[in-house]
Amino acid sequence: MTQPTPRSQRPTTDFSIIGKPTAMVDAAEKTTGAGKYTDDLSVPGMLVGKILHSPCPHARIKRIHTSRAEQLEGVVAVVVGKDAPSPYGILPVGHDEHALAVDKVRYVGDNVACVVAISEAIAEEALELIDVDYEVLPAYFDPEESMKASSDLIHDNRPNNLEKDYHHVFGDPDKGFAEADHVAEARFIANEVTHAAMEPHSTLAAFEIDSQTGKPGRLTVWSSTQVPYYLQHKLSLVLEIPMAQIRVIKPLVGGGFGGKSEVIPIEIIAAVAARKAQAPVKITYTREEVFWAHRGRPRTIIDLKTGVKNDGRIIAVKARVVQDGGAYCSYGVVTILYSGALLGALYDIPNIQYDGYRVLTNKPACGAMRGHGTVNVRFAFESQLDELAAKIGMDPAEIRRRNLLQPPCITVNGLRVQSYGLPECIEKTVTRSGWKERKGKLPRGRGLGVACSHYVSGAANSIIRSDMPHSTVNIKIDRDGGVVVYTGASEIGQGSDTMTAQIAAEVLGCSLSRVRVVAADTDLTPIDIGSYSSRVTFMAGNATLRAATEVKKLIVAAAATKMNCQPDDLVFREDAVVSRNGHVGTAAIESLPRAQPRGPAEQSSAATVSGRVEGQILRGSLQQKRKDEGPKDRMTFEEAVVAAIDFHGALTGTGSYAPPAEARGGKHKGAGVGPSPAYSYSAQVAEVSVDEETGEVTVHKVWAAHDCGRALNPVSVEGQIIGSVWMGMGQALTEEMVWKDGMLMNPGLLEYRSPSSIESPEVEPIIVESVDPEGPFGAKECSEGSLAATIPAIANAIYDAVGIRLHESPFTPERVLAALRAKKNAKAINLTEGVDPTSPTRFREHGGSLWFKGKGPERHPLDPSRHEPAGGAD
Amino acid sequence: MSLPRFKLLRPRSVAEAVEHLVNHAGSVRVLAGGTDMIPSMRQKLFEPEYVVDLRGVTALREVKLQADGSVEIGALTTIRTIERSDFLREHYPVLAEAAGTVASPVLRNMGTIGGNICLDTRCLWYNQSLTWRKGCGFCIKKDGDLCHVAPGGTKCWAAFSGDTPPALLCLKAEIEIAGPHGTRRVPLSDFYTGLGDNYRKLQASELVTRVFLPASSKDYRGVYRKLRVRGSIDYPLAGVAVVLKRSNGHVSDARIGITAVNPAPLLVKGASELLSGRAVDEALAEAAGDLAAKISKPLTTSALTPEYRREMIRVFTKRAVLAAAQVNGN
Repeated sequence: MTQPTPRSQRPTTDFSIIGKPTAMVDAAEKTTGAGKYTDDLSVPGMLVGKILHSPCPHARIKRIHTSRAEQLEGVVAVVVGKDAPSPYGILPVGHDEHALAVDKVRYVGDNVACVVAISEAIAEEALELIDVDYEVLPAYFDPEESMKASSDLIHDNRPNNLEKDYHHVFGDPDKGFAEADHVAEARFIANEVTHAAMEPHSTLAAFEIDSQTGKPGRLTVWSSTQVPYYLQHKLSLVLEIPMAQIRVIKPLVGGGFGGKSEVIPIEIIAAVAARKAQAPVKITYTREEVFWAHRGRPRTIIDLKTGVKNDGRIIAVKARVVQDGGAYCSYGVVTILYSGALLGALYDIPNIQYDGYRVLTNKPACGAMRGHGTVNVRFAFESQLDELAAKIGMDPAEIRRRNLLQPPCITVNGLRVQSYGLPECIEKTVTRSGWKERKGKLPRGRGLGVACSHYVSGAANSIIRSDMPHSTVNIKIDRDGGVVVYTGASEIGQGSDTMTAQIAAEVLGCSLSRVRVVAADTDLTPIDIGSYSSRVTFMAGNATLRAATEVKKLIVAAAATKMNCQPDDLVFREDAVVSRNGHVGTAAIESLPRAQPRGPAEQSSAATVSGRVEGQILRGSLQQKRKDEGPKDRMTFEEAVVAAIDFHGALTGTGSYAPPAEARGGKHKGAGVGPSPAYSYSAQVAEVSVDEETGEVTVHKVWAAHDCGRALNPVSVEGQIIGSVWMGMGQALTEEMVWKDGMLMNPGLLEYRSPSSIESPEVEPIIVESVDPEGPFGAKECSEGSLAATIPAIANAIYDAVGIRLHESPFTPERVLAALRAKKNAKAINLTEGVDPTSPTRFREHGGSLWFKGKGPERHPLDPSRHEPAGGAD
Repeated sequence: MSLPRFKLLRPRSVAEAVEHLVNHAGSVRVLAGGTDMIPSMRQKLFEPEYVVDLRGVTALREVKLQADGSVEIGALTTIRTIERSDFLREHYPVLAEAAGTVASPVLRNMGTIGGNICLDTRCLWYNQSLTWRKGCGFCIKKDGDLCHVAPGGTKCWAAFSGDTPPALLCLKAEIEIAGPHGTRRVPLSDFYTGLGDNYRKLQASELVTRVFLPASSKDYRGVYRKLRVRGSIDYPLAGVAVVLKRSNGHVSDARIGITAVNPAPLLVKGASELLSGRAVDEALAEAAGDLAAKISKPLTTSALTPEYRREMIRVFTKRAVLAAAQVNGN
């Protein structure tokens, strides 16, 4: 302890803030209920908005009669499409949405009009007074049918209702299959799921009155968003006012999972309504409206073919993916590209063919959801890999080990992989779960399954192509020793603010309680493209690191002068600055009082040190004190800050992050999606039991190892792993959006069944740290990558337990039982509406009918709902 | 979704409550726990001018042992109270068990036994918002004239989805109904019509006030088995209550009640004949399952396919018979 360790030899884990379990900086607000979410906010004169939704899946709007609604006492305005006809969309290639329908409605639930009134009840009453004349059109609900359409297209500029298709060939897949010893080929179907974030979307929009014109001027929008800067941009587009006239503030957000990662109709509608009503307007979705706004994971058909050699090496993969994207583009083009791109970067696959089709249908728009684009394909791939392992008689964990990448490398489809903790993830889950000892030896009906997954740590290319940094962070430090970090990154419950504070505190060597994070307010914070694609820790974290390093340089220079030593000799740690070459070693650092959260009393004693008493800066006496003391071996953080301010004036630093050019991918069409500066890796083992009489599946335990580069906040990483597994389990077993001719049968949390605490298995999170060379302190993402492994791990465990391969998710009891009965040649009962869950060919619709002998809702004669019901009544 | 506007009436006695019902017949609904009615009102399934909030009628909150050995349960007794009652758990375990499966703990704190008996029948085409129902063209049960689950049918098939009634049916429970002409007592089995829309025999001016478990049912012990996707929150997708009475190692009487697969909870006819006088084994239990499955007519009113739900009535009945035999020390 007497010899200070040179910096280069210091163990990299010698951190004082990061790597330690840290309570979220906003935990107290949330747990006490003091925190404010958008719907908690109100401003004087605020009105309530309610949206009229379409009852038709596809129809032309002939006329909207609003006068009766407008005349209702308490109604201030009725807003319709022509009040803001400019189209928008999250992707530059997909500007196909309007605030409110201009000419057509495209799904049951599409936005037709908005009533602004003094109360919710009056607004709802007024909705019933709006009459809309529709000319119904044939609708499309099945993507494979929709692709055949030649007339009555959902969007006129999208022939065959095809939003986008991509056809990628890497290597020589045909040659690969010819060389394969075993080939498996099958269709997999993953049904539609949604985010089901706890907080429904809410937006409050208020215009300031322009003092010159008396007309609505600057706009302030508070919204439950993951992407405040995209919102600012789209608002500018639709309202046709400059971005600088729009301020977007993100209050606390109660979960996003991708459902708030683009501009949602409510956000535009509230602003348009506030303009027309000339008053602040708040709209909060009902849960049903959240389901209609959707942007979840699309129903996906995956026709997958995989070839392996006898030694388990994957030699070729061919995937044809059809996504039932709903009525608008949303992130669809990105989703279909992720589905293909992330076939690579997990395993070493030399030959890949990918054909992806994003198809429009008359249903709510699908978009980005946790594990964006990768999850359903991963379910298919990891299931098929398990089947191939069984074919060649290889242990399923072993076949995954045989296909590891050798980083640093660039995959056949142009993805750069540097840090790669997958081998360790597999090793640890296999060891902890007792895989070798227990696999195949569990009692009847109980089984183990393994699967792997990966995900990007932020997209290397932003949606809007530019060389602009993806994140910028500013830091300001004042004489009080308080550190304020200004970041555009959006805390949505994932711990973004805490991560920011941790990195700033670690770099500056100050306690966490000194750091205040001001986030996601477009007037105050520098631009950050948002909380999606698991980019925040990597990108905003790096920007924070750089900003803190920059501002620290100023403090270091001042402190070095004061302490009469070289800047390199200074160590900033635990609110103290010490010289490593003086007679004060690291022991002295440890003898310093440990940083504690500061109460008001301590604040004032700290203030005395910095020379501030009751608002007076006693510069003279402080300087006198310094002179008396001469050069010192150590300074407190406040002293160093004061010294720096005396030398440099204001203490500010700024840092930005843009992904390096080498990480931005190949040159082929669609190469922009998939590349990331770093990938996270996950391996999971699930232990399940299956009730062979009922088909009910119970998940007993999941061992989930996740390579997050470095765990900046281990408790938060574990929380994200557990949450991902749990959400994956929901998609694997119970969650499914059920459709009947464009009607969503379960638009609520009673019938859309996210698991309850009773079904939640024990999840053992295992953190693997591969220390990425470019991540902040080596960190990568930890919030999404684990999800995709859970579904196939459970599927493979079901196979291990009872010997059935389910190719359709979720594995509901009826599907499991149908497969079990088929396997046993039991008497056939139609448990699954005629769709064999072990080899599905089409999407299954809910039973029942919208139609009977000309009665029922108004639909076009050619609409699928007009076909005779297949089953009929008992 | 806001609640429709209504006037809240808060009687302190049954008589006062009945008076309100008489005065506002046709545009009044009774509120007990509100766990089902409040969401339904938000969905505009009910838009009464008046709501009679019974929660001030404290006389209806008790579980009482009567002199004749029967048990009286006030209609406002919470599901939680029934689930937790030591007396009921000991003597009528099937009822306590069924109560313990209702919804989730917070809803059981609010929901009442009277409410569970009177629970509105459910259907995916019915329990939806007004906007949603416009999209499907409404249905026989509310605002429309067609049935989506039985296209062409003119009967409503909404499923009765209470958990406690099959247990109560097995215990031969009777209910007390108060109305303008005093009270009447009817067997619970006569309370339901078997129709999905007009599902119970209750006049607009009447309300269910008490439940009685006859002393003779005390020796009937059994279990309740519930099909649900989640272990909490969910309504039953199929439910089976089985009680057995034993003498000399054999079953001397048996009753099986099923729920959530028909517009009414039903007692399975022939259960006693099948099981009486015999020792319960797998084959016998399976035969009981077949019997129960035969009278269950699930349609696409809920999640999981009808065929699956009927199959589960078979499996769950079999299991419940075997479990009931265990409870009785077979």
